[in-house]
Amino acid sequence: MTTRAQNIGALVFERSKRGSLRLVLVVLLIVTSLLLYVGGKVRIMRLGYQIETLEREKLELERTNGSLRIEASSLAAPARIEEFATRKLGMVRPEKGDIVVVKRKGAPKR
Amino acid sequence: MGLAFALVIVRLLHLQVVERSRLTARAERQQEQVITLEPKRGTIFDRRGRELAVTLDVDSVYGVPSKVDNPRELATRLSRILREDPRMLERKLAGDKNFVWLSRKVDPSKAAKVKEFDSEEISLRSEMRRFYPKKALAGPLLGFTGVDNQGLEGIERAYDKLLRGASGWVLAEKDAKGRMVFPGGPGFQFKMPTPGNDLILTIDEVIQHISEKELDAVLLSSRAKGGVCIVMNPHTGEVLALSVRTNGAGRQAFNPNEPKRYKPAEWRNRAVTDAFEPGSIFKPILAAAALEERIVHPLERFDCRGGKIQLADRVIKDAGEHGVLTFSDVIAESSNVGTIKVALRLGKERFYKYVTAFGFGRKTGVDLPGEISGLLRDVRLWSGVTIGEVAIGQEIGVTPIQIAVAYSALANGGTMMTPYIVSEIVDREGKRGQKFIPRPLGRVISAETSAKVNTILQRVIEAGTGRNARLSGYTAAGKTGTAQKIDHKTGAYSKKEYVSSFAGFTPALSPKLVIVVMIDTPEGVIYGGSVAAPVFKAVAEQSLAYLQTPPDDVEGRMLLVAR
Repeated sequence: MTTRAQNIGALVFERSKRGSLRLVLVVLLIVTSLLLYVGGKVRIMRLGYQIETLEREKLELERTNGSLRIEASSLAAPARIEEFATRKLGMVRPEKGDIVVVKRKGAPKR
Repeated sequence: MGLAFALVIVRLLHLQVVERSRLTARAERQQEQVITLEPKRGTIFDRRGRELAVTLDVDSVYGVPSKVDNPRELATRLSRILREDPRMLERKLAGDKNFVWLSRKVDPSKAAKVKEFDSEEISLRSEMRRFYPKKALAGPLLGFTGVDNQGLEGIERAYDKLLRGASGWVLAEKDAKGRMVFPGGPGFQFKMPTPGNDLILTIDEVIQHISEKELDAVLLSSRAKGGVCIVMNPHTGEVLALSVRTNGAGRQAFNPNEPKRYKPAEWRNRAVTDAFEPGSIFKPILAAAALEERIVHPLERFDCRGGKIQLADRVIKDAGEHGVLTFSDVIAESSNVGTIKVALRLGKERFYKYVTAFGFGRKTGVDLPGEISGLLRDVRLWSGVTIGEVAIGQEIGVTPIQIAVAYSALANGGTMMTPYIVSEIVDREGKRGQKFIPRPLGRVISAETSAKVNTILQRVIEAGTGRNARLSGYTAAGKTGTAQKIDHKTGAYSKKEYVSSFAGFTPALSPKLVIVVMIDTPEGVIYGGSVAAPVFKAVAEQSLAYLQTPPDDVEGRMLLVAR
């Protein structure tokens, strides 16, 4: 048989155990939330850096692409092609007799 | 102890409550930075989609003078890389500012060397730079942009608003090391820049090259001061090529990549900004007016013997000796006497009506900056000599583009067309924003008159002063001109300086190209038939071959094979 005093003691102990548990749970919850919050922030920061790095890479690639386009465009300039054809390849403009006009029968008149 | 604690509390309250908003704003200013995002200027393409002007991201070099300990030493080192004046760099680096541009839009090789500095004093910032990959090709036509990408001349200026686009911005945060962080998420504030529109021109890069090359060749051989060559589609008003040389023989053509190297006169588009006395290339206008009014027949004979005609107090002479000429031959042989006789028969009122109807004395409306109206005196102010002078292309100032438009009307059956350079505006999503269509301004002469003038102008090339313009394989029609320039010192016609010109179209039977050539102050042989006509021939032959136009004149050694 337990005495009344023993019962009260157990009840107090029980209550204080529950109180500590609740406190621990609250602290844990706060710490976890903080960790999640900070973790999220850190992740955003890291992703921000990654975005910046990728943006830079993209910019560099776009620049390279642009430079190559300009180079291709300037290499295809008619003045350069004509000079290359006439000076390096020895090509000449067709003379009168070099041109043959072929008229196909039934071809629509232009 | 208690007092100290109270002070701390008071200070804390002051900072957290009273000064809160000011300090928050200050912290934000330190941590945040608004970065302006430049829009990408639109690309300019030729009619077949070949790039004529493009924009590229490049680096600009800036300095932080407040962090520079030894401006002179740094300026000397930098000047070797940037090829800028070391004293200018030193001056810029000597202040206590936190930002100063040192060199804008530098070449990638220079930027790479500056990157090696890796210091807080000097840094790079990305900016847009305009490139003209075909270098001097169509330079005065395209124009150029300023250091802030604003169009300053040519098409770049005329279409600046459309090409430029709108700036954007982004609110970036700086971390403890000063590195830029883009926070993202719902609070991320930014506005993307709106890129400029692309332009598609009526210009054909190859025909442009042909006209420039031939113009350069004649400038070199004739040691002329400059020249203009316009190639136009007479049925639509599309300008296929517009070449301008204002810097004389031997000097490099205007390259819009380096506008600072040239004087303003060298990038001026004289095809629209300058008027010249056309001389005999104006005679077909009189011919068209007279034939339309039926006051003359192409075979009517005119006595041109004696080679001179009295007009009020002035005697106007022919360049050579002529006999009795048909009206066709008056134009073909370019007789001033015969032309003036017809003009007098037409009368000044009627002649003036046609001169204005052909677009002289007013702007053509071409989409280029700086166009002038030319010089045409009101008919009420014409003296007794003016009718004869205007008939032979004197006492009137015209721009080369006006001549191209007038000859287009002669070629296309009599309709005046508005010339244009931009055929399409393409928006940033690649959609065709606006397409320009040919704009007829109305009929000036009948198709019948146009055909008669065409025949007369073919005769100029077959048997008249324009024999040097005769093409291989194609028919052509045109007129030579040799006009004395006004001597600015005496105010009278110069005996040394001339403008040699040729205007015409080809193939004569179904005109595809109108070509106007104007050579300013050639030396030695000065006649339009000798100086300008060969340019017409060369440009026409090469352009028609490039356009794969079937030859319509197969005489000579050309072979026609039938299958």
